[in-house]
Amino acid sequence: MDNIRAKVRNLLEEGKVEGYLGYKMVEGHPLPYLFTRENLEELDQAMVAPGNARYPLDKLLQILAVKNPDATFAIQVRGCDERGLNELYKWGQLDPEKVVLVGVACPQEQADYCECPGPWASVIDYGEKCEPVLKSQRVNRIDELPLDNSFQEWLGHFSRCIKCYGCRDVCPMCFCKECSLEHPDLMSTGKIPPDTIFQLVRAIHMAGRCIDCGLCEEACPADIPLRVLYKKANLLVKELFGYDTGSPTAGLSPWKFLGDEVTLEPKPM
Amino acid sequence: MSEKPFEPKILGFFCNWCTYAGADLAGVSRLQYPANIRVIRVMCSGTVSPHHVLRAFQKGADGVLIGGCHIGDCHYLRGNYMTIKRITFLQELLKFTGFEPERLHLEWISAAEGPKLAQTVRDFTEKIRKMGPSRLKLAKQAA
Repeated sequence: MDNIRAKVRNLLEEGKVEGYLGYKMVEGHPLPYLFTRENLEELDQAMVAPGNARYPLDKLLQILAVKNPDATFAIQVRGCDERGLNELYKWGQLDPEKVVLVGVACPQEQADYCECPGPWASVIDYGEKCEPVLKSQRVNRIDELPLDNSFQEWLGHFSRCIKCYGCRDVCPMCFCKECSLEHPDLMSTGKIPPDTIFQLVRAIHMAGRCIDCGLCEEACPADIPLRVLYKKANLLVKELFGYDTGSPTAGLSPWKFLGDEVTLEPKPM
Repeated sequence: MSEKPFEPKILGFFCNWCTYAGADLAGVSRLQYPANIRVIRVMCSGTVSPHHVLRAFQKGADGVLIGGCHIGDCHYLRGNYMTIKRITFLQELLKFTGFEPERLHLEWISAAEGPKLAQTVRDFTEKIRKMGPSRLKLAKQAA
């Protein structure tokens, strides 16, 4: 922890960043907090939030960046947060020149819970690298079900949805100003549960974009296993197009350009 | 009470430059194909969003047929490069959620392929007829 505080103090004192987006304990709750040069003494309370108190810092950074287009900010990142930043750079939502990373490596329990393939940031200022989880058992289980069973299972999950839009609102990658989930011609209005396709539409938008932070699933009041759906969407993008979501070296998302050649063929009837 | 035999409802998204013209050709050539298909003309098959396809299924379509130009023949040069990416991905995602991916079909049909269009619509309609009503529709009726 001292490591992080010292690093941030330096960054702030030397004027390299305008602020540091991290966590602070507020009345017993670890909450996102913007530390600034004016209140350096607060830095003693800067902390790494435990795994069950994570917030979409990437999303907060986007709001900050819009309000302060010229400012550079430091931000606490886990592996997933950094993947999110990489993806946001690609989609033109943030400027990599204006972001300084304060990296955290997740403990093993966190990685196991998330089934995370990359539970650490490229810079590690806190924690130690643990074993990544390369295969998701949750996705495998559904993959192996007969079509009938998986349909019934998903239908059961989707029918609990109360259309609170919590999954979308918490998502650091959902940055659109207009959302097709709110378009009255594309999604029925005034009924609960919403159209069965509600979650599928979101899954499509998450393909090649979801960085598997799991906040949607934690925010969901109906306990819909959204993460399994988005993990699969990303796996498909990897299998079909070889795109590794959130990787700084993977180039652009397959949905962002047409491509120079076609390797796929329509399935025979 | 006698139940009406199942007549599939099929929605077609046909590209303006190839498949829709192919349907025109099938028409002027007096080729017969089932009237189960309702066609929506789009300027390019690449403009068909997966959301449109899902919306069709939600609204009770038993099958969705998408027709575009052959690769290399796209009026917009590479619009159909996106079509094949999207549709292949959507088919796989549908499979994961237990919805039969065979109900979504993509076919490249050029403006000169009237007979192919008629044959594709015939084959697809028969396939969907054999599969029966869509699960999504049945689930909606049960709810």
